[in-house]
Amino acid sequence: MDTSDDAGNRLRFQLELEFVQCLANPNYLNFLAQRGYFKDKAFVNYLKYLLYWKEPDYAKYLKYPQCLHMLELLQYEHFRKELVNAQCAKFIDEQQILHWQHYSRKRMRLQQALAEQQQQQPQQNSSNASSAGK
Amino acid sequence: MAASSAAEKEKERPGSVSIANVPGNSTREKLLSVLEDLEVLSRELIENLAISRSQKLLQPGEENQIIELLIHRDGEFQELMKLALEQGKVHHEMQLLEKEVEKRDSDIQQLQKQLKEAEQILATAVYQAKEKLKSIDKARKGAISSEEIIKYAHRISASNAVCAPLTWVPGDPRRPYPTDLEMRSGLLGQMNNPSTNGVNGHLPGDALAAGRLPDVLAPQYPWQSSDMSVNMLPPNHSNDFMLEPPGHNKENEDDVEVILYPVWSSARVDSGSRGLP
Repeated sequence: MDTSDDAGNRLRFQLELEFVQCLANPNYLNFLAQRGYFKDKAFVNYLKYLLYWKEPDYAKYLKYPQCLHMLELLQYEHFRKELVNAQCAKFIDEQQILHWQHYSRKRMRLQQALAEQQQQQPQQNSSNASSAGK
Repeated sequence: MAASSAAEKEKERPGSVSIANVPGNSTREKLLSVLEDLEVLSRELIENLAISRSQKLLQPGEENQIIELLIHRDGEFQELMKLALEQGKVHHEMQLLEKEVEKRDSDIQQLQKQLKEAEQILATAVYQAKEKLKSIDKARKGAISSEEIIKYAHRISASNAVCAPLTWVPGDPRRPYPTDLEMRSGLLGQMNNPSTNGVNGHLPGDALAAGRLPDVLAPQYPWQSSDMSVNMLPPNHSNDFMLEPPGHNKENEDDVEVILYPVWSSARVDSGSRGLP
């Protein structure tokens, strides 16, 4: 009995882990909204129940931590209603991707700045050397 | 007649510098009454002298009496004057003491103000210290070992889940959330369609059709880690959130699975071909 319970609980853990991370996908959220799942009271309660993933003991298993933010937003009815629009989902998607690229863009900018600096320095060095030689 | 008028005047003047608060007993009143008597007596004496000069009647006894009374009254007057002088001195001392008292009073008030200020400052300091203690407690409660945080940070950034890969261009199918393909290859997706397992759990049709980069498709879900203990199970039974009786637990999971499968046949087209503006 215990082992079957354990197996069942493990399965439930994995399923809920997968599901909560799927909530990070705005297109999936749009799909759910359009099929009317957000109007189901039981589903809304399930979303509230899923908030336990915010605790650090559980959150350390999440690969896509953005899902927690989406989960928090999903607690608000206004957000759930808005998700029916495809434009809303598209906007969220774009913002997510832009934010995702934030660090790589920052790094690229730093690299560019460093490259420019290095270009200027050799020019200065050469001018200094020529003036000192005279 | 003169005596009765003196008595009337005595009653009219209220005592100002009074030793005892008995009306008519103050030094001033006594002085004034003695002065009245003196006045009366001297008048009588002078009248008698005037009458005796005109009438040539000898009344030595009366004159003597009046003179004696006069002398007596004068003595009283002198004593009362000395008394008044002493009282004046006492009064002066009283005034000095009153000034001292006033000074002390103002000192005490200033001390009171300072104490009040100090109390206020201390009260705010104590309050802020309490708040700080609360926040320290809170921080301590949420303390996580730095090693764990670094491990977690490494895990989520190595898989490009929170930071885009450096070679990402629009058109790259990788996303900061699980894509439809990943969703379908996970446990939820597999529970719906166990018969169509492709290589590595991927639907072969998807990989060929999209021509995507192969390394993305390998599901690297951490739920396959072995360090998950039985204690880390979801906190409450999924019965609780249902409004229906508890037997519907499985039904909810079925719903979840059912949602997943027919999902992406329509949306998949969008996610693959969409790039950033």
